[in-house]
Amino acid sequence: MDLENIQREAQKAIKNSSNLEELNKVFSKYCSKRGKIGLILKSLKKLSKGERIKIGKQANEAKNLLKSEFNKRTRQLSKEAVNKEESIDVTAPGKKVFLGHLHPLTLVRREVEDIFQKLGFSIIEGPEIESEWYNFDALNIPKDHPARDLWDTLWLKTEKPLLLRTHTSPVQIRYMEKNQPPLRIIVPGRVFRHEATDSSHDIQFYQIEGLMVDKDVSSANFKAVIQEFFNQFFKREIKMRLRPSYFPFTEPSFEIDMACLACNGKGCSACSKTGWMEIIGAGMVHPNVFKNSGLNPKNWQGFAFGMGLDRLAMMKYKIDDIRLLYSGDLRFINQF
Amino acid sequence: MKFSYDWLQSFFRKKLPSSTKLADFLTLYSFEASSNKGVLDLDILPNRGPDCFSHIGVAREIAAILGAKLQMPSTNVAKNRKSKDFVSIEIKAKNACSRYTARTISGVNVGSSPEWMQERLKLCGLRPINNIVDAANYVMLETGQPLHVFDAEKIVGKKIIVRFAKKGEKIITLDGQKFDLDPSILVIADSAGPMAIAGIKGGKNPEVSKTTKTVVIESANFNQKTVRAGSKKLALKTDASLRFEHGIDLNLAELASNRLAYVIQEVANGKVSQSLIDFYPKKTFPKTIKLDLIYVNKLLGIRIPEKEIKSILERLGFKVSKISSCFRVTVPTFRLDLSLPEDLIEEIGRIYGYENILPKLPFGSLIPAKRNLRVFWRGMIKNILKEAGFSEIYNYSFVSKKDTSIFKINPIEVKNPTSSEFQYLRPSLICNLLKNIKKNQNREIKIFELGNVFGVTERTMLAGMVFQDDAFFLLKGIISVLLKSLAITDFYYDSYLENIPFWNSKRSAEIKIGREKIGFLGEISPSILKSLDIPKKVAAFEMDFEKLHKLCSEEHEYMPISKHPAAIRDLSILVPRKVKTAEVLNIINILGGSLVRDVDLFDIYEGKEVPSGRKNFAFRIIYQAENRTLRASEIDRIHQKIIKILDKNPEWQVRK
Repeated sequence: MDLENIQREAQKAIKNSSNLEELNKVFSKYCSKRGKIGLILKSLKKLSKGERIKIGKQANEAKNLLKSEFNKRTRQLSKEAVNKEESIDVTAPGKKVFLGHLHPLTLVRREVEDIFQKLGFSIIEGPEIESEWYNFDALNIPKDHPARDLWDTLWLKTEKPLLLRTHTSPVQIRYMEKNQPPLRIIVPGRVFRHEATDSSHDIQFYQIEGLMVDKDVSSANFKAVIQEFFNQFFKREIKMRLRPSYFPFTEPSFEIDMACLACNGKGCSACSKTGWMEIIGAGMVHPNVFKNSGLNPKNWQGFAFGMGLDRLAMMKYKIDDIRLLYSGDLRFINQF
Repeated sequence: MKFSYDWLQSFFRKKLPSSTKLADFLTLYSFEASSNKGVLDLDILPNRGPDCFSHIGVAREIAAILGAKLQMPSTNVAKNRKSKDFVSIEIKAKNACSRYTARTISGVNVGSSPEWMQERLKLCGLRPINNIVDAANYVMLETGQPLHVFDAEKIVGKKIIVRFAKKGEKIITLDGQKFDLDPSILVIADSAGPMAIAGIKGGKNPEVSKTTKTVVIESANFNQKTVRAGSKKLALKTDASLRFEHGIDLNLAELASNRLAYVIQEVANGKVSQSLIDFYPKKTFPKTIKLDLIYVNKLLGIRIPEKEIKSILERLGFKVSKISSCFRVTVPTFRLDLSLPEDLIEEIGRIYGYENILPKLPFGSLIPAKRNLRVFWRGMIKNILKEAGFSEIYNYSFVSKKDTSIFKINPIEVKNPTSSEFQYLRPSLICNLLKNIKKNQNREIKIFELGNVFGVTERTMLAGMVFQDDAFFLLKGIISVLLKSLAITDFYYDSYLENIPFWNSKRSAEIKIGREKIGFLGEISPSILKSLDIPKKVAAFEMDFEKLHKLCSEEHEYMPISKHPAAIRDLSILVPRKVKTAEVLNIINILGGSLVRDVDLFDIYEGKEVPSGRKNFAFRIIYQAENRTLRASEIDRIHQKIIKILDKNPEWQVRK
């Protein structure tokens, strides 16, 4: 058969092929090495030089033409194939995927730890069962003094009088006994109070204690560190203020208020119209605390602070009842 | 504590700022305050009780803050006869009573107190009674000194005795309550018995009544610990006990007595006796504190001019003199809270205003935070369990009395629990997690907790629970993944189990890493599930985090992927039911050696198609060499060898 006929026949076959499979067959019938045009090209060497050039040129031209028509048809058929696919209801819900959930206190604690670690504070922990010495005496909280009433305590029926720590401050003593300044630590942990529970009080909660001691760490330094913490934690410039307070283990002692997040300091129901929220108790480490930890107060000074982690979590996620945190209710936890 | 705005104003000639403004000032410079209709509610800090549980004390604060001049109330009394003519005193409990003063006023007219006085008392939360009692309360609110007034005629034997109560003694207080006393409680007695609980509350017997003509004013100072202990023991808190337990200036007793005499004279007439009977063996004098001015600025982190420091201290009523770079500061005796330079620095700082301290980031060596591996691994474990679909729980650290019988545990007991729900410390995380399963009525539950438990020692534990079909093996798979992710490889599950009541002993295993016992994995005992009314099996694990985190490793190395193809052969074996998977697996692994890359148990079948008492394991063995392509004949040889050895066991039968 002459080339022209082959070409015509192939073009027809390409046009008539109704799916990709058929089309591929057509391609190999004509254009593959053993296809009709392929065989013509193969047989060229038998011809004279003049013939070879002429027919070779024609054959290649035919092959290229078929290839381009073949490609065109391929695109056409592919498109048709897609169009034939049944459409889906994209508004139908996706398959349910079950992820795990971390507790909001874990999330907030990590965030706080990260911020302080960047500021060079190491994370230290201590026991939840404490002795009276570490929880009170060493912290300059005298026995039989009304100051102790600030910490309603759960005592244990143990041989030695032991208690559930009422704050993370005992770890200050434990750490300073074993480590020489300069030091910068934070102490996150669970603490306990003998307290009537309501939406903002529970018998257990989490505190983060901070302690920085060096030759000349000052109140001004404390203000800067806490301002930095606030700004990073709440991700904006937070207005704060210090006011006088009393803790037996710090002198001077401060209470730190931050401008109420809900009303920005204007006064609303969330801050009982004051515009401020009490958030951190703090102060400069009392000389007796240094003494009780085996450090010479003449050589060192520093600040200590404590804040409630639950409180931060409640503010961050707008949780209105602290007891939800310890309820084990998955309808609550699985929202985080 | 409530304070009257008008009363506070009465100490100043100058007009005070509005009560709202005043409350703001006090909040910023002294203690938290709020105001409402002429009443200031102040949260006096415990260390300031001695001087500020009084209107004069708060007025002194205001004077220091505003720099205003304070007008002290009058104590100028007309005196005539001697008190000794009426009563004498005897202090038996000298350690519990550092000062006792008595003064008589004769010819009083008992009646109701003037309107203005009643008004002020009511504003501060006290109920007016009669002009004598009201005057005593009034002067207490004014000066902070608790005062008591006896009807002199009713004191049996005309002698006031301060002593501890005798065993079996009783007293009926002014409000008609009856108290049994004991020798730890200090009383004011006459020769007939207790007339008052010292520093706490007066008794009914020597009460001032309409017919009273001569009164004895008691202005004394009782030991703060004695009063506190007595008040706790009797569960009786009063305005007097509150003040005594915070401590009171010994020198206030006389001043307050004078003032009360003056006020009684004003409101009830009467003649004040000339002299004060005063037991005051050890006088207190103002303290002097040396204050290094450099230290002031160093601790606060600002530079306050020396003049300013001096002015603040003087406004607070302190005397200041300079010696080289230090101040000698003499502090009045009413400031019981001040004894160290740091105490004075707080006074300077707060009156100067903490808002004037500008934030300054610390300056020092750049020491990076130390890595805490406990914290690191805890975070890692939580993340892995979260990835495995677990929800994290924070439970209470307590278990109830009921739990002790359900779980057969004997935990540490709380001496003063808030309720029986929280009476014991949790000895394990399992108890409360199981209650979470019960409470959350989801179809499928996966939860975990990482927290401290209490037994002989306090330990951090990791526990988890799965509530769904085939929970045991799901949980086992998760623990294996967890341990592998912590780069722990030499772990195994040992069916030996000590008898711990939580677990179903037939369906539990001990988790071991090398030789270390690390925890348990198993199904919860059916009897516990039944008593908690949980309808489905629950699988749980509990591991010792203290041990676990020390075995974790961050080492992780890439294993080259073999370039040579793997060959797969299946092997099916019929064995008696009691045979454990591990027995068969071990043989395959030992015989296969390094050429067996993996063995997967893809089916365990017991049922119709196998003889009873037997089960069928189906293994998929993957053969692969690191360095070459295995020939089919080579694979067949090993595979046949495995089959042959397995078949040697007369009870086992490899299905061909």
